[in-house]
Amino acid sequence: HDQIVSGIDWSSTSNKIVTVSHDRNSYVWSLEGGEWVPTLVILRLNRAALCVQWSPKENKFAVGSGAKTVCICYYEQENNWWVSKLIRKRHESSVTSVAWHPNNILLATTSTDGKCRVFSTFIKGVDTKDSKAGSSAESKFGEQILQLDLSYSWAFGVKWSPSGNTLAYVGHSSMIYFVDDVGPSPLAQSVAFRDLPLRDVLFISEKMVIGVGYDSNPMVFAADDTGIWSFTRYIGEKKAASSGSSYSSQFSEAFGKFYGQSKAATANDASESSKSRGGVHDNCINSIVPLSKAGSPKVMRFSTSGLDGKIAIWDLENMQEELGHQF
Amino acid sequence: MCLQNFPCQEVERHNKPEVELKYVRCMTSPELLLNPVLICLNEAEKCLIETSINSLRISLKVKQADELENILTKKFLRFLSMRAEAFQVLRRKPVQGYDISFLITNYHCEEMQKQKLIDFIVQFMEDIEKEITELKISVNTRGKLVATEFLKQFM
Repeated sequence: HDQIVSGIDWSSTSNKIVTVSHDRNSYVWSLEGGEWVPTLVILRLNRAALCVQWSPKENKFAVGSGAKTVCICYYEQENNWWVSKLIRKRHESSVTSVAWHPNNILLATTSTDGKCRVFSTFIKGVDTKDSKAGSSAESKFGEQILQLDLSYSWAFGVKWSPSGNTLAYVGHSSMIYFVDDVGPSPLAQSVAFRDLPLRDVLFISEKMVIGVGYDSNPMVFAADDTGIWSFTRYIGEKKAASSGSSYSSQFSEAFGKFYGQSKAATANDASESSKSRGGVHDNCINSIVPLSKAGSPKVMRFSTSGLDGKIAIWDLENMQEELGHQF
Repeated sequence: MCLQNFPCQEVERHNKPEVELKYVRCMTSPELLLNPVLICLNEAEKCLIETSINSLRISLKVKQADELENILTKKFLRFLSMRAEAFQVLRRKPVQGYDISFLITNYHCEEMQKQKLIDFIVQFMEDIEKEITELKISVNTRGKLVATEFLKQFM
């Protein structure tokens, strides 16, 4: 890759890693003899690729891009390479996040035009018409099933619940949206929360979602028995603001050098705004992925990675009582 | 200050601060820009904050009561802007209609702490005021001294 790798996903059963980058390319890495060997995938994109995810059956993967398109790639056995099919219509801006429905056919996408859309990605020869899948099996490739117009601002981080019944995504206006019964008449709920917007979400069970974002502290959202979602708590404890120690920033000193004065002492009393975050992450948390044993419906452990360069693994075993009976 | 890395939607393989392309971009990708916020203390002191998905531009207009302050502000802020590399978040030229501008991109947010960036800018604003007043006083004092010395010879 020539530019930053913007998306990566590891398929657990077929043991392949797919990576996409701002240089419009994508590689599928296979483990051969202890080394990871890349295979180029021709995505036919003319802008950067922003996100990627393997489908639940791992025979396809979806790539969201800045070219306002989504690429669905599948493996063609005869030619021994990955072929891409593009969903060109509908998106008015960059596609920031993609998520596969458990039935391997429906794909949800979020975009910087603020909308969340659900498409059918039925490909002849790859997907089989399954009576269980219901109406989605009859749809054409690239057909838009649903468009959700809940957010005024950019949308990120879409995920399906384990059963595929509920969809959750976040908007940049510090809102998280939950949609139940995705289909012709969906039930949408918007939950507004204080503090900074989220970037990504994860369903840890049918009724509990963890969101991560600019607050550097994962947030827990839960649905009660009537199905109403609300914010429960932060995972880590937020320490109270304390600005005792001397505040010195590299800028203060650079600034001071121009006057030959030392600025370090003067800044103390003025800036009561410096809060000590005191959490695991110092900067925005970009993504959250589950660490679960295959087949288990609940996610007990997950990992988060942030702009501060840290990866943290969180264990929910001890928090079960605090999280409540929904968990 | 929730900025994130965002590759350019208009030009392939480029990554530009979207807020700087506002006038070009209005036609093609207005969805990447947010509403600008203008904070006015009074007619003479303003602060304009323009944001986009990957960058933030803060422009300040400093209070200038008389001609002397006008000249001092211009020279002093020009001195700082010319050395913008040392400050990293400073813009080399102020936005039209303002005295000084900052450009903060997602790369700055990754390297530095958001809270410290905000503190820096607030500190900067306070210090500008102090410095200009100090400079004004020293110019006036010098002027008085020089004038006294000069006129002594006529006494």
